[in-house]
Amino acid sequence: MLRTRFRRLAAATAVAVVGLGMLAACGDGGDDEATSGPVKLRFLSLAWQKESLQANKDLVAKWNAEHPDIQVEYVQGDWNSVHDQLLTSFEGGDAPDIVHYEAASIGEFSKQGYLADVSDLLSDDFKGQIDKGIWDTATFDGKVTGVPFLLESQVVIANKKLLDAAGVTVPPADSGWTWDEFQANAQKLTKPGQYGAAWALKSPTNRVLNLALNFDGKFFYTDGGRTEVKVGDAEKEVPKRIHDMLYTAKSASPEALGMSGADTLPGFFGGKYAMLPGSVSLRQQMVEQAPAGFEWVTLPPIKGQSSLQAANPQTLSISEDSKHKKQAAQFLEYFLNPTNMAALAKGDWLVPTGKQANEELVKLTGGKQGWDVAADSAADLTVAPFQMADGYPEWKTKYATPAFQQYFANKITLDQLATQLVDGGKQVLR
Amino acid sequence: MTTLAERSDVERPGRSRRPGRSRSDRTAIYLLLLPSLLPILLLSVFPLVRGIYLGFTDARAGRNVGVNFTGLENYRQLLGDELFWNSFKIGLLWAFGVTALQFVLALGLALLLNQQLRFRAVARVLAVVPWAMPPVVVGILWKLVYHPDAGLLNEFLYRIGADGLRANWLGDFSTALPAVIIVGVWAGMPQTTVVLLAGLQGVARELHEAAAVDGASPWHRFRHVTLPALAPVIVAITSLDFIWNFNSFGLVYVLTAGGPGGKTMLPMLFAYEEAFRYGNYGYAAALGNAMVVIIVALLAIYLRRRMREAN
Amino acid sequence: MFGKPSRTGRTLQYVALAGYLIFLGFPLIWLLSTAFKPPRELVRLHPTLIPTNPTLQNFVQAFTEQELGRAALNSLQVSLASAVLTVLVAMPASYALARFRSKLGTVALGWVLLSQLFPFVLLIIPIFLVLRQVGLANTHAGLVLIYVVWALPFALWMLQGFVRNIPRELEEAASVDGATRAQVLRRVVFPLLAPGLVATALFSFISAWNEFFFALVLIKTPELATLPVALARFVGIEGTARLGPLAAGSLLATLPSLIFFAFMQRRLSSGSLAGAVKG
Repeated sequence: MLRTRFRRLAAATAVAVVGLGMLAACGDGGDDEATSGPVKLRFLSLAWQKESLQANKDLVAKWNAEHPDIQVEYVQGDWNSVHDQLLTSFEGGDAPDIVHYEAASIGEFSKQGYLADVSDLLSDDFKGQIDKGIWDTATFDGKVTGVPFLLESQVVIANKKLLDAAGVTVPPADSGWTWDEFQANAQKLTKPGQYGAAWALKSPTNRVLNLALNFDGKFFYTDGGRTEVKVGDAEKEVPKRIHDMLYTAKSASPEALGMSGADTLPGFFGGKYAMLPGSVSLRQQMVEQAPAGFEWVTLPPIKGQSSLQAANPQTLSISEDSKHKKQAAQFLEYFLNPTNMAALAKGDWLVPTGKQANEELVKLTGGKQGWDVAADSAADLTVAPFQMADGYPEWKTKYATPAFQQYFANKITLDQLATQLVDGGKQVLR
Repeated sequence: MTTLAERSDVERPGRSRRPGRSRSDRTAIYLLLLPSLLPILLLSVFPLVRGIYLGFTDARAGRNVGVNFTGLENYRQLLGDELFWNSFKIGLLWAFGVTALQFVLALGLALLLNQQLRFRAVARVLAVVPWAMPPVVVGILWKLVYHPDAGLLNEFLYRIGADGLRANWLGDFSTALPAVIIVGVWAGMPQTTVVLLAGLQGVARELHEAAAVDGASPWHRFRHVTLPALAPVIVAITSLDFIWNFNSFGLVYVLTAGGPGGKTMLPMLFAYEEAFRYGNYGYAAALGNAMVVIIVALLAIYLRRRMREAN
Repeated sequence: MFGKPSRTGRTLQYVALAGYLIFLGFPLIWLLSTAFKPPRELVRLHPTLIPTNPTLQNFVQAFTEQELGRAALNSLQVSLASAVLTVLVAMPASYALARFRSKLGTVALGWVLLSQLFPFVLLIIPIFLVLRQVGLANTHAGLVLIYVVWALPFALWMLQGFVRNIPRELEEAASVDGATRAQVLRRVVFPLLAPGLVATALFSFISAWNEFFFALVLIKTPELATLPVALARFVGIEGTARLGPLAAGSLLATLPSLIFFAFMQRRLSSGSLAGAVKG
């Protein structure tokens, strides 16, 4: 009795499990291997702000209406998990045809062979719209594996009323402050309960290495095929100045160190911080979230010896395993034509890489809400050596970020920081 | 020990088997286990065996990349990997801290929820809130709690006039690990509570009543009636909790990404970065194997002792 | 549990319970408050609990942009299937594991623990490949299968603990009374096992409901996406998020689990051993 009862129960569940599998197996299959009919492309987009989401969807819908033979399926991903999602689908042979990501992160995938070289797939006309320095950020081992389209420059957003009260004048869009001026003004804007600036250094390594180009700080030096990390006076300049603001002048808030750009907003809107050195895209939050009557201005990037910054553009790539690379490239040329690129940049409050798109955008916005500054900053964005270095991600996470965090928390000296960065480089760049 | 428990101890499986039943029993066992073994074989054994094997190779991420067997090379490298062992220490602190606090707090809550209190049903539902919340929002939520400027915790301290206690909870080197441990306890408590609550139902009321008649104090009854009866459930849930906690890093990743200065770099986060960010599958699998061996050893000691106590 | 406590004892119990509930439940209140706040109120230096200008805009956005309704239906389907299957599969197995000592059982239990120990990220790619091989990638059935396997360790360990807690002589006494083994199982074992089964079903349901990673990598058709994946799309670069719609969506994603639990929680205490002994 027991036996039959058990057997029946066990058999029933076994059948249920197996049957489920077979059922699903029948339901699936076949839909990828369609040989006739329109070409189907999957496009993984990372748009997430309301306006840019709409711009993306509209462009795809328009394309699909105009190209019945090449249908694009819009798939939305998210920035937090896109890396894992891509790696898994690349390894599993199931990747989307077109992938939205960023130059700093596609390097690994590119070297692993998962991304197609687009240089022969795109027209010269299209390629001529984007500066060589920007193309270089998406070029790995001689292969161009991404089309850079949105740039994020580092500007300064400031509280206009506090500037006026302290007698600090707003510089014109084409002639920003030097670091010395910025530091002096931050000092003027500091009083009890108010800091001149808030450095949001949640990702300190990228931030510092981007700005280090101001003083020609390269960090990664390649000589005869060997790359090593060097930290000389040029590299020390930016971290030292930030550290000075934090602990010597006390014109920057130490509490902001662990924050991302958006985390500093309550303090900024509440008058606790007068200036936010940060991404141009912060303007989006200004428009959407600043309290009524709050006046904000966008100040141009800070200058050292130059106002060069490392560019980490958002990119669109084509998978190496895609069966329709040509059609995918065709879609990219449409998706990123000047008018469309301007619309995408506007939606994300970022700077378009295309020259014509940039001009259109300034015209479209009348240069208001900081678009003049944003457009001007594009010329200073270029590739930095660390972006080309193998092992940069590992160096960053294992050595550089903890070292910078210790330095900015005032736990180690500048020389110790330099030693840790160099030693980390020796560990990783073997 | 109670009479009931003793009796069930005497009737050990295997000894109570009547002659002639054994073969049918064995068939029954296999049939009963089959449904759960089948999917496990497919989706657990194969991936796991492959994962363990990878730990002895130089496997790397990449299109059409060859894999070579490298024997113990990964482990030689691992022994000298100071960063990993640092992170392993943090991982043990984290897992022990979270599991112990989780257990103590959950036991207290389960005992309360097992009482005939008013609003018990509502309280039970509210107690599982952390579990029911989508994980995406949990990390963001706790970041808002710990936010140095506008965080709920600092705001609370400010409103009660304890401004001096305000801190940069996740950013400060000394408070970061405790702060994330609290989040870990919070997130895992409901599961433990529900299990313990379910386990408490198995404790016979008669035993309590009998003990109460004998004049035993509540603590005495808890110590000598409730706890022993609950022991198997406690052992199971604390072991699982420990493993889960040791393995979880998603929440901490969202909160601190291992910072500040590596203070919250959990070993699983370390292995994750090794595999998914730098593409070193082989080395990451070796880290996994090493961690499994150590944790199994720790668990074996724990389970052994508990089993002995229970008998 | 402790007999009749004194009045101060009772008060203390209520105070302790309130403390627990504030610690565990306050985020729900925060979600509620955030879900109704317009963007400008989300970045106040001193946040308020009650929105000054409450709005429904977040809900509208959450639903129009990401089709959360469909995602919720997908999630419900997957989670219910996982819960039912987990219980169906784990119940006989745990009974066997607890009642008959066998090598296979020990190996299975050990394996189950081991599988939870190994770094999860290293298992994802092979699992993904297996599911593709059997044609289950990009299907809900594939997800359900993974979730059942994922919930089984917990289910087996917990349930066999519960079975062990049921004194054997209860079963034997019943069969002496002339009950068949099937009747014994139904009348004696199941009622006593009910709290454990409820805990197991709950565990399986909620883990499936909240699971993110597999749902992300396994499902590529947008129409099949589950709720956590849809919600994640409100999170942007560097962990910044569109808090309003995210909170609105999360609030609605939290409720089904709580309702499910509200229905089930009674069952956590229904099968009293005392009743079984007397009966």
